[in-house]
Amino acid sequence: MQLWDGADEVSAIVLDLGSHSCKAGYAGEDQPKCVFPSVVGAVEQTAVVGDGGTDTDMEAKKPGESEKAKAGRKLYTGFSALNYRRDFMEVVPAMKDGLVADWEIVESIWDHALKDRLLVDPKEHPMLLAEPSFNTQQNREKMVELMFEKYGAPAVFLAKNAVLTSFASGRATSLVVDCGGASTNVAAVHDGYVLQKAIVKSAIGGDVLTECLLKTLESKGISIRPRFSFKRKEVRIGEFEVTPVEFPNTTESYYKYMQRVIAADVKEAVCRVPDSPFDDNSYANIPTTPYELPDGQMIEVGADRFRIPDIMFNPSLLQTISGMEKFGAEANAPLQGLPQMVIDSINKCDVDIRRELFSSIMLAGGTAAMQQMKERLEKDLMEEAPQAARVKVLASGNATERRFSVWIGGSILASLGSFQQMWFSKSEFEEHGPSYVQRKCP
Amino acid sequence: MGDAKEILGLHKVAGLGASAEKRKTPKDAFKKPDGVSREVYALTGGLPPIMPTLDPSSLKRRQIPSKKISWQWLPFKTSARLDNLQLCHWVRMVDGHSPAGDYAFDKYNKAVEVVRYTDEEYNEHLVDPGWSREETDNLFDLCEQFDLRFIIIADRFTPPRSVEELKGRYYSAARAIVLARAAVTDEVADHTLVKDTYNTAYEVDRKRALGIILSQSRQQDHEDAKVLEEAKRITEARLDTKIGEEAELPISAPAVAAPAEASRVLRTSSSPLAIAVDVPAPVATPTPAPPVPVVAPVAAAPSGPRGPRVYSRAALLAQQVHAIGSTAGVRTSKRVDQLLEEYGVRSKPKVPTQAVCAEHLELRKEVITLIQLQKQVQAKEVEVAALRENPFADVPATPSTPKVKGGQTILYERPSKRDHKRKATTKLTETPLSPPYQKRARKMKGSES
Repeated sequence: MQLWDGADEVSAIVLDLGSHSCKAGYAGEDQPKCVFPSVVGAVEQTAVVGDGGTDTDMEAKKPGESEKAKAGRKLYTGFSALNYRRDFMEVVPAMKDGLVADWEIVESIWDHALKDRLLVDPKEHPMLLAEPSFNTQQNREKMVELMFEKYGAPAVFLAKNAVLTSFASGRATSLVVDCGGASTNVAAVHDGYVLQKAIVKSAIGGDVLTECLLKTLESKGISIRPRFSFKRKEVRIGEFEVTPVEFPNTTESYYKYMQRVIAADVKEAVCRVPDSPFDDNSYANIPTTPYELPDGQMIEVGADRFRIPDIMFNPSLLQTISGMEKFGAEANAPLQGLPQMVIDSINKCDVDIRRELFSSIMLAGGTAAMQQMKERLEKDLMEEAPQAARVKVLASGNATERRFSVWIGGSILASLGSFQQMWFSKSEFEEHGPSYVQRKCP
Repeated sequence: MGDAKEILGLHKVAGLGASAEKRKTPKDAFKKPDGVSREVYALTGGLPPIMPTLDPSSLKRRQIPSKKISWQWLPFKTSARLDNLQLCHWVRMVDGHSPAGDYAFDKYNKAVEVVRYTDEEYNEHLVDPGWSREETDNLFDLCEQFDLRFIIIADRFTPPRSVEELKGRYYSAARAIVLARAAVTDEVADHTLVKDTYNTAYEVDRKRALGIILSQSRQQDHEDAKVLEEAKRITEARLDTKIGEEAELPISAPAVAAPAEASRVLRTSSSPLAIAVDVPAPVATPTPAPPVPVVAPVAAAPSGPRGPRVYSRAALLAQQVHAIGSTAGVRTSKRVDQLLEEYGVRSKPKVPTQAVCAEHLELRKEVITLIQLQKQVQAKEVEVAALRENPFADVPATPSTPKVKGGQTILYERPSKRDHKRKATTKLTETPLSPPYQKRARKMKGSES
C-alpha cells in the first residue's frame, strides 16, 4: 500500500536518541509515538527493590516502567519512572558531549521504547537509527552490534541527524543548524551526505539556557521547588495551602533534575529571542510576563526573557549571569554565537556549494522552536554574510515539527521505496562484521 | 399524436367522458415526479427530460464488483539487494493474484559507470609521481561508492587533498584508460571523457576568485561601493574640465595663430608690393601647422577620462565643430560649410572614427584659416590699392575698389553694422573721410586683425 508516490511501507521503526529526549515511532507517520527523556534514574543497590510506581506524570501515554535489574544498578527509564521520587536515585544521562557515553543506559532506553511504549517485537521490524553527525566509528559499530545481537533486528540503518533533517524538508543539500539539548551543531549536507570537515559544534544548548534561567531566578530570590518537595491542598475554594515535604534521602542530582524540568517549562513558555542584540538599557523597562510555578508561586519574568535566548547569539552574556561565568572556560576556543558558527561552517566547505548552502539553512531541534529564532538568525546572517550570497533560513512553522525534524526525516527515509535496497541486513552483518557499517551507511 | 386524436375524437363523440379523459391526460403531463419540488421541476421547463436519467435508487444498491480486491502483507524481493533479506510490504491482490514483475522501485537503482583499471593498465598508463597506487585505488573506490560526488569524496579522502586535485587525477586517469582500451581513437572520440578535458589550473583559479567574492563581508562591499562612487565623481569632474579646456584650445589656437599671421602680414606690408601678395601665401601655410598639432592631442584626450564609458565620437565632433564655429562667427561658419560643399566634403563625416574626425576638424580649421586669410588678403589688397592711388595719404582711405566677389564687382555696398570684419564701405569716394569716420575706419581695420 502506498502512502504517497514513492512510498513503500515496510513497517520500519525509527529511533532517534538525542541528548535531551528519545523519540521512537513507526516509519511513515508524521510524529513519533513515544517521546521521553534520555536520562535514567539509577539506584545503586545491593538488594532488589520491587515497587510499582504510581503515576504522577502528566505526559506518559501508557503507564509503565522498565526495571533493569543488573548487578549493582537498577535503572528506571521513562517519564513515570523518573517522576517518581526514590531514595538514592541518581539521574544519569545517556549521552555526553553529544555522543553515547553509557551503553547500558542506551539499552535500557531502547528496551523501554520498543517493549514498553511501542509494544513491538524488534525481530520483525527493520530499524532506522539516527546518530549524531560526528559519530565515531567505534560508536557506530557498537550500536549496530547491539541492535543485531541483542534485539535481533532483521535490518538496520544508521543515518546522520543532519541528513535526516535535510530530508525532512525535501532537500538534498542544506546547512543544518541543530539546536539541541546539550549542544548546538551546524553541519553541511551536500547531496545527501554530511561534509565531516564542515561540522561546527558549540556547547551551548537548551540545557545551558535552562541552567541560566534557573540561576537567574535564584539570584532574584525565587527558589523553584520540585514537585515532590511539597504538598498542595485546596483548603478553601481558590485557596491553596502548600506544605513542604522532607525527603532527606533524595540525591542532589535528582533534586536538580526536577528543578530543571520546571525551569525548562518556564523557559519554553516565556522566553523569546530578541530582535536585536540584547543590552540592558533598552530592555530595562520591558513589561514582565507572569508565570505560575507548580507550588503556586507567581513569578514575573522581565528582561531575562530576552537575555537568556540571546546567549545563543552572544555567548559573552554568560558572564553576566552569576554562577555561569566559568562555563566554557575549559574549552580551548571561545564560544561562538550562532551566526558566526554558520559562517564558519560554510567557509569550511568547497567554494562551489557555498551559495547553495547560504540559501538553504535549516533550523532544527527543540531550542530552535523558540519564538523569533528564525527571524533573528536571518537578520544577523544577512549582515555578516557576503553580498553575493542570498541568505535564506528555513524552519518549519510548526514548533513540533522543528523539535522532531530528525525523526520525521527518518520516517520519510525509511518508507521510501528506493531506500529498501540500502538496509544493512543481518546476513550482511554476519558475513562481514560490524565494520561493514562504514561501507553500508556512509 | 394519439393524445391529440383522442382529444379530438372524444371531443367529437361524447361530452362527459371526453372531458374526464381530457382532464386526466393534461393532468398526467403536468404531474411532477416525486423527489423534486414543484418549483425546481418548473425550472427545467416542466417537462420530463429527453434522455433517461440515472435513477438514484440504483446508486443506493450495492455494486457488485467485477473483480475481488484484497490487500496482503507479503514478502518481496528486490533485485537491487544481493543478500536474502526478506522485507514485507502490503500488496494489492486482484482476485488472489499478486501483480507480476520486479519490485517497482528497482528502476531507480542507477549507478554511475566508473572506469576501473587492471594492474597492467595502471603500470602502463597511470603512473604519476604525485599519486601512489593505494591513493589512486582509494580514489576510484570512493568514486564508485559516492557516484563521483567529488565534494564528498574530498571530504572523506585520506590524506586530505583538494577537490581539484582529485578531479584532475580521476579524469586524466579515466581518459588515459579509455583511450588505451579503444582500438581506434575515432571510436571513442565522442566519449565525454575524451571530448572534454579537465583543466586543473583553471579550476583552481576560478575557485580562488569565487572564494574572494564570497568572503568579502558586507562592510567591504560597502567600502568598495563608496570607493567606486568617489572614482566616478572624480572622473566626471575631470572630464568636465577637460571638455572646457578643449573648447578653449581651438578658440585660442586660431586666436594665437591669427595675431601671428597678422604680425607677419603687417611686417610685410612695407615690403615691395609684388611680393606682398606672395608672402602671405607661404606665411599662411606654416601657420595652420601649429594650431593643428595643438588641437589634435586635445581631440584625442577626451577618450582618456571618458574611457570606460560609452563614447559617441560623432557627438564629440559636433561639440568641437560648434566650439570652433562659435568663435569664428556665424558668417564664417556658413562660408566654411559653403566651401566644404564646393570641395565635395560632407559637413558631417559619414564614418566618425578618430582619424576621420581629426582630419575633419583639421580641414575645418584650415578652411576657417583660409577664409580669414582671404579676408586679410582682400584687406591688404584694398590697402595696397588705396596706397597706390594715394601714396601720401595720412590715413588709409576706404578702398576705392570694392571687394571682388565671384568675379562681380560691386559698386555699392550697403554697410552692415554687425559685420565689423568687413570694411565699412559706406562711401566710395576718393576723398579722405572726416575724422570721426577716419577713426572708425582705423578702429575697424585694427579690429579685423
